[in-house]
Amino acid sequence: MLNEELLQSVSEQIVAYDADKLVESVKKALEQGIPSYEIVLAMSRGMQVVGQKFEDKEYFLPDLLMAADAMKTAMDVLGPHIATAKVASAGRVLIGTVEGDIHDIGKNIVVIFLKSAGFEVFDLGTDVPVARFIEEARTVDPDILGLSGLMSTSMPVMGEVLEALKREGLRDRMKVMLGGAPVTDEFARRVGADAASNEALSGIRTMEKWMKEKP
Amino acid sequence: MTSYQRVMLALEGKQPDRVPVVLYPRYNALKYAHHTFQEALEDPEKYVSAQLSAQRRFQYDSVHDYNMMGPIEEAMGRPAGFKLKYVRDDAPMVEASAKIKASVDLGRLKVKVDPHVDGLCPRVLWVVKQLKLRTMEKGEPNVPVITWGSCPSRTAAVLMGYDQWFMLLIRNPELAVEFMELCLGPWLDMVVSEVEAGADVVWVNDPVSSADCISRAHYEKYTQPYEKKFIAAIRDRTGVPVIFHPCGNWHDRLDLVAQNGADALFPGTMDFSLVYERTMGVANVKALNGGVGSARPNTVDLKGTTLAEDATTLLNGSPDEVEREAKRAIKIGTQKGAGFLLGGNCFPPLDVPLINLDAMVYSARKYGRYPISL
Repeated sequence: MLNEELLQSVSEQIVAYDADKLVESVKKALEQGIPSYEIVLAMSRGMQVVGQKFEDKEYFLPDLLMAADAMKTAMDVLGPHIATAKVASAGRVLIGTVEGDIHDIGKNIVVIFLKSAGFEVFDLGTDVPVARFIEEARTVDPDILGLSGLMSTSMPVMGEVLEALKREGLRDRMKVMLGGAPVTDEFARRVGADAASNEALSGIRTMEKWMKEKP
Repeated sequence: MTSYQRVMLALEGKQPDRVPVVLYPRYNALKYAHHTFQEALEDPEKYVSAQLSAQRRFQYDSVHDYNMMGPIEEAMGRPAGFKLKYVRDDAPMVEASAKIKASVDLGRLKVKVDPHVDGLCPRVLWVVKQLKLRTMEKGEPNVPVITWGSCPSRTAAVLMGYDQWFMLLIRNPELAVEFMELCLGPWLDMVVSEVEAGADVVWVNDPVSSADCISRAHYEKYTQPYEKKFIAAIRDRTGVPVIFHPCGNWHDRLDLVAQNGADALFPGTMDFSLVYERTMGVANVKALNGGVGSARPNTVDLKGTTLAEDATTLLNGSPDEVEREAKRAIKIGTQKGAGFLLGGNCFPPLDVPLINLDAMVYSARKYGRYPISL
C-alpha cells in the first residue's frame, strides 16, 4: 500500500473507531518507514472528522469516546517512536477540574479535541487544589490554562485560582479559559479570566484564535 | 387549598386554585438554614428542619428528600470497588467506579439490597418519614413530600463511570441491557420503601440519554425501554404520580419521552413551548413542571442544539427576570387547561439568590390564579 493510502486508512479507522485495524495500519506504516509524526497527523485528521460529525449530531458521546480510545491505543503503539517525532505543537494547555468538583466528561471531551487539534495537553484531572494549578503553571508554563467545573460551587474556586495566579505574578503569562455548565462570559470577566465556554468545540476555536494572535 | 391538594391536582392535569411551585430546593433550603450538605448528611435532622423551615419561609409547594445521593449505587457497588466521596457542599460524588467489562463482573454487584438496612438508604427513608409526619396538619397532608428514584441507565452509568457506560453501548450493548436489568430491582425496592415511608410523589431522571449524550436510535433501542419499565413498575407497586426529568437537550426525541408513562415532565434546558407541543396529552403526560431557565426558541439552533442562554436565570437573573420568565412559563404551561407546576430546569444551584425563590412564588401568585388569561 502506498504511504498516502496507508495514512488515509489510518484517518478512516479513527473515524470508524476500529482500534484493531488502526493498530494494524499504524504498525504497517511504521514498518514502511513513515515518520511517526505523519501518523499522528493522520490520526488527528481523523479526529477532526469525528469532531465535525459530533457537531453535526451524526456522532454522539459513545462514538467520540470510542474514537478517542482507538487513538489512545494506537498512541501506545507509537509511544517508543513518538519521542523523536517532530509534531509542531499548536500550543500548550494546562487543564483541570477545580477543587471540590470531580465531574470530568466535559473536560475530557475538551482534552480529546485539543489533542486532535495538535495542542500539547497537561491534564491534571479532577478535584485539583488551587496550589497545584499554580505549581503546575510554573512548571509547564502553558499558553492557556483551562479551569473546568460542572457545579456552581466550583465557580468561586475558579476565582481563587485567578487570584492566586495574579498574586504569584503568573497571570499575564497565559490566557485563562473557564469551562462548564454554570460559567458565563460575564462571570469570566468578573473573576478576571479571558473567556468562558459551555461547549467544547467553540472553546477550542477560541483557544486556536488566541494562539494565532499570539505574538 | 393546601400545597398538597394544589400539587396533586396539577399532576392529575387539573386546575387547582393557582399554579403550584415545585422547584427541588435541595441546596437552597440548606443555604437558608446555614447548613452544608455534609452537615445535613451526617445529621439528617438538619436536612429535615431545613426543608421544613425553608418551605414555611418561601411558601413554595413541596418538600424533598436528599435526592441523588447514590444510596442504592453505594450499596450495590461497594463489593465491586465502587466508592463515593463525601464533599462539603454537595451530595456524595463517585470516587471509584466498579469495573464492569463482562457479564461475570456483574456478579460482584450486590443485587439484593435491603433499603431498611443497607448503606445510606435507611437515612433517606428516615428523612422521608420525618418530612411526612411533620407536614401533616390535623391528620391531613399539608405539603407533599417528593422523593426520587434513579432510572436503570443512570444507575449503570454511575456505577461503572459515564465514559465506560457510553462505550459499553457500542462495544457490548447486550451487556448494557443486562446491567440495566440488574439495576432496575434495587432502585424499585427503594422507591417502594420511600413511598411506604410517606412520599406522595416520585421523580425520576435520566441524565445519560439526552441528545447531548447518545443517539435517538440508542435511546429508543436500549435505555428508553428501561425508563418505561421503571416508571410502570413504580406505578404498579405504589400508585403515586411520577414526574420524569429528561436532563439536557431531548428535542429530537420528545415524541419518545412522552411515551415513557410519567404523569408529568420536568424538562431540562429545552424549549418549553416545544416540550409542551410535543408531549402534553400524549400517553400519560398530564402536566409540565418547570419553565424558568428553560431555553427560548431562538436559543435553539438549526441542528436542534440548545444554546440555552437563559439556563441560569435563577442563578444569575434578577427577580424581575425570574418574574418575566415565570409569567411566560405559566402562559405556555397552562394553555388548553393542562396541569402545570412552576419550577426551574434543574436543581436550583447553591448560589441562587434566595430572593429569586421569592420571585418564583410571587409570580405564581400574581399570574397563576385560575382561571388564567395572560
